[in-house]
Amino acid sequence: MDYIILSLTLLAIGICGLVTKRNLLKALISVEIIAAAASLNFAVFSSMSGNPLGQAFMVLALSVDTTLTAIIIALVIVAYRELKTIDIWTLSKISRARREKR
Amino acid sequence: MIPFDAVIAVALITSAFLSIILEENIHAVVFFGATIVLLSSLYFALGAIFAAIFQLAIGVGTIAVFFLAGEMLSSKKPPKQTLRSKLIGVIAALAISIPSVTLSITPKIGGTFEGLEFSEALWRLRGIDLTAQAFVILVISIGVSIILKRRRS
Repeated sequence: MDYIILSLTLLAIGICGLVTKRNLLKALISVEIIAAAASLNFAVFSSMSGNPLGQAFMVLALSVDTTLTAIIIALVIVAYRELKTIDIWTLSKISRARREKR
Repeated sequence: MIPFDAVIAVALITSAFLSIILEENIHAVVFFGATIVLLSSLYFALGAIFAAIFQLAIGVGTIAVFFLAGEMLSSKKPPKQTLRSKLIGVIAALAISIPSVTLSITPKIGGTFEGLEFSEALWRLRGIDLTAQAFVILVISIGVSIILKRRRS
């Protein structure tokens, strides 16, 4: 059992979701999975070296990650209210069309 | 005898993969919740108790928000995804979890760090960061509520 490979696999899943999915909520879940992969590394190296400072950093990283999630969800909800879609491509098309109109 | 952490790792990768590939938002959020719980139990298995509890506490809040957002943002007609494609997703997830169970690339760490407690590391070494971060989180939460309120009005 290797935690580094596990972390790399989670990172790959997150990047794959971020690149392939058009749904904003799925993109957000992908970002969360990437953050989970990063914090897993903190916990693994902290546990291996016996240094609890890694866990302290992980606590800080998780807090930042959660606030980031709150901001992104607020923006997603605002986008949905305004444009009635959470499809990334459609949002991009709409914003481009609005820019050209101006 | 299969080690406990290997089983958790396989379940973790499978649930993370399913949370990405499932088309229905609510199902994806359910599997993402399972990912958080499994990650927390992996931290327990590693001996990082505080990290596990913190991850679980934060995960509960995150999943609740994700559920609400998923319910709000779901379209009325459910997306068409066959059982066959879901099963292929599970098999693919099991396949990509094999390297983490069988291979090993983790380097050996020389000296271990003794004599520092978690609370000491958090408060004595990172106390100012923690306080500043609490302030940042407060500001961000106020900002988010202002964004939502202004848009509604």
